[in-house]
Amino acid sequence: MKNNILKKLLLVMGVMALAVVFTGCGKKTSASSVKHITYWHVNAQTQGGATVDDLVKKFNATHKNIKVTAKYNPDMYKGLMQNLQSAQASGKVPDVTQVGWAYDNYFANNFKYMTPTDAAKKFDNNTKFIDSNFTKRTLSFAKDSKGHLVGLPYSLSTPVLFVNKDILSKYNINENSLATWEGIKTASKTIHDQSGKYGLYIQEPGDTWAQQAVMLSNGANIQKNGKAAFASSNGVAAYKYYQEMVTSKLALHTPWAQGMDSFIKGDVAMAFTTIAQASHIKKSASFNASAIVAPHFENHKTVVPVGGSMLAITARDPDQQKAAWEFEKWMYKADSAVTWSKGTGYLPPTKIALESDSFKAYVKENPMLDPAVKTLDNAIPWTSFPKKGLEAEQSMIDARDKILSGSDVQSTLKAAQDNINAQQK
Amino acid sequence: MHNKNKKILPFLYLLPTAILLIVFMIIPIIYTFYLSFFDWNLIAPTKEFVGLRNYIEVFTNPVNQKVILNTLIYIFFLIVLNFLVPYFISLIVKFFIKKMQGAYKVLFFIPSLFSLVVGAMLFTWILNPVSGPIAYVMKNLGMTMPNWSNSGILAITVICFITNWKVFGYNFILLLTGLGSIPTNIIDAAKIDGIPKWRLIWNVILPMNRGIGIYVLILTIVQGLQYVFTPINVITTGGPYYGSSNMIYQTYLNAFVLYKTGTSSALAIVTFVVFLVLLFIEIRFVEGKAKKYV
Repeated sequence: MKNNILKKLLLVMGVMALAVVFTGCGKKTSASSVKHITYWHVNAQTQGGATVDDLVKKFNATHKNIKVTAKYNPDMYKGLMQNLQSAQASGKVPDVTQVGWAYDNYFANNFKYMTPTDAAKKFDNNTKFIDSNFTKRTLSFAKDSKGHLVGLPYSLSTPVLFVNKDILSKYNINENSLATWEGIKTASKTIHDQSGKYGLYIQEPGDTWAQQAVMLSNGANIQKNGKAAFASSNGVAAYKYYQEMVTSKLALHTPWAQGMDSFIKGDVAMAFTTIAQASHIKKSASFNASAIVAPHFENHKTVVPVGGSMLAITARDPDQQKAAWEFEKWMYKADSAVTWSKGTGYLPPTKIALESDSFKAYVKENPMLDPAVKTLDNAIPWTSFPKKGLEAEQSMIDARDKILSGSDVQSTLKAAQDNINAQQK
Repeated sequence: MHNKNKKILPFLYLLPTAILLIVFMIIPIIYTFYLSFFDWNLIAPTKEFVGLRNYIEVFTNPVNQKVILNTLIYIFFLIVLNFLVPYFISLIVKFFIKKMQGAYKVLFFIPSLFSLVVGAMLFTWILNPVSGPIAYVMKNLGMTMPNWSNSGILAITVICFITNWKVFGYNFILLLTGLGSIPTNIIDAAKIDGIPKWRLIWNVILPMNRGIGIYVLILTIVQGLQYVFTPINVITTGGPYYGSSNMIYQTYLNAFVLYKTGTSSALAIVTFVVFLVLLFIEIRFVEGKAKKYV
């Protein structure tokens, strides 16, 4: 009796062991045909992270041979770059990576990547995908200082002027007068004189993106032929305008979070900031808010540096690169790009997505996006100096801080320009 | 054989800790020291040897000089807010207030349970010079709140207050515990002799609590300089024009924002040497005192 039970037990165990072996074999067979790739992004759950997860889930469901794993990197593009450095040192790099525009040259000079042109030629035998989806202007955003395409533009943003319509109507200010910086000054003076409130806030994060837009819209160049050129008469005039606005208390000079908080609470009438703030303003402001195209100085046109990021292929293995290219192409499909835009507040990078019915309907529902879309035609690449670009950006931040604290505009900008150019040799 | 084992055994017991210390402390410190002689962007295959240039830059660059001065200002404010004030309050609670000592401990300790990021964001809102609740109250009273984030010294003060909110309770409890461990017979004897309370505190209690006092003082400086990093990073990012930066934030800025590992490592080594001196003082006073009782 005992022997019988033992035999049965052994039989059951044998069958189970075989099942495990075969299951393992089965898995191995299927695993070898499935390419696993990783996608590194900077989107926290509050900044479109859920949309990234949704897109990846949809891609995985429709592509049986590729499995994408998305990995969120905290602390935006800076944090991602730090993680990428460690990954490169350990040899375990991601396959697709979001790279912020400010890191364009740093990434191109220091990391191994496959250009989208090479990927298209190798895996599609032509560059039709790139040519048909992106305008020349959009592609120029993702080029390094040598003019090589590093990645494909993915998230695009432009600065716009958000306005508190309630304050404007209370003090009889016509929105059309805010098309120029001079008009904004007059409006700010009216508001300040009558209410004591600030007229304007220009965003002040750890970069000078918005301040560059002010200078560019006065006909200044940030760089010319790879050298800093912002201390020109036009650049100086733009910063003098900004300094006067701050010293006469028409414009608020404070860190970004506090500045936006003051705009949302109705203590500042206008905020010049990224379109990515639109959903936050829509959700939080208790007044009637709208957005208008980034202003320019009289006799000049609006020019703004583009914000956002590109997608770069950092995979090393040819099969991984192929899978990464497939994933990228899917991410640029109109549906995916519009979903991405809705989830993050960025503008879609492709012509097809921008012209799609779903995006147009979305803009109709969210009219604050309209000026940002219009400004895209006036956007230029975010200045990325060929050498020591991150130090160059810090020099411009330092110049901004000094000027807004009362330093002489011309000498401060000239010193910053000389400092950057000394590093370019 | 038995003797040999006895000799090896203590080292074996120490081995796990020693390995952790070597891997996570000693080797990184040596590598940081090595990097401080190079110009390197963290990822380039080659490092350029620059000799002592990075150290010279630490002391001659006007920005670094400003940052070193700021660090001294931070130390002064931290000592006042996070050491002298809690010490004063703990003396009052211990010797002048008879009731609710436990309640004070709990109340003061609660903020130290919160993250400094939360604290920094909370204070950014509360102290918004235009739209914060304090600004509104002041406006109603006909006053204007200074735009503290545009002034280095005011920004440093606010940042120190934020760390004070976090650290106060912990330091208070440490000091109060120290005061509680002073033998009561000495205090009773002094009372019987009719010594005034302030002399009892100055001549008896403070010297007897010197060990804990020095420990909390060093902790206030070393830990405090690291604690202020979070509000600097969240609120001012070292601005206006490095007005609120300190040596630890500057080390981070150079290493992970500008990728200047050489300058960053030189700054880190200088800070390390300053901390070593403080540690030496701590060992001299605290450990020295402990030896006396052995």
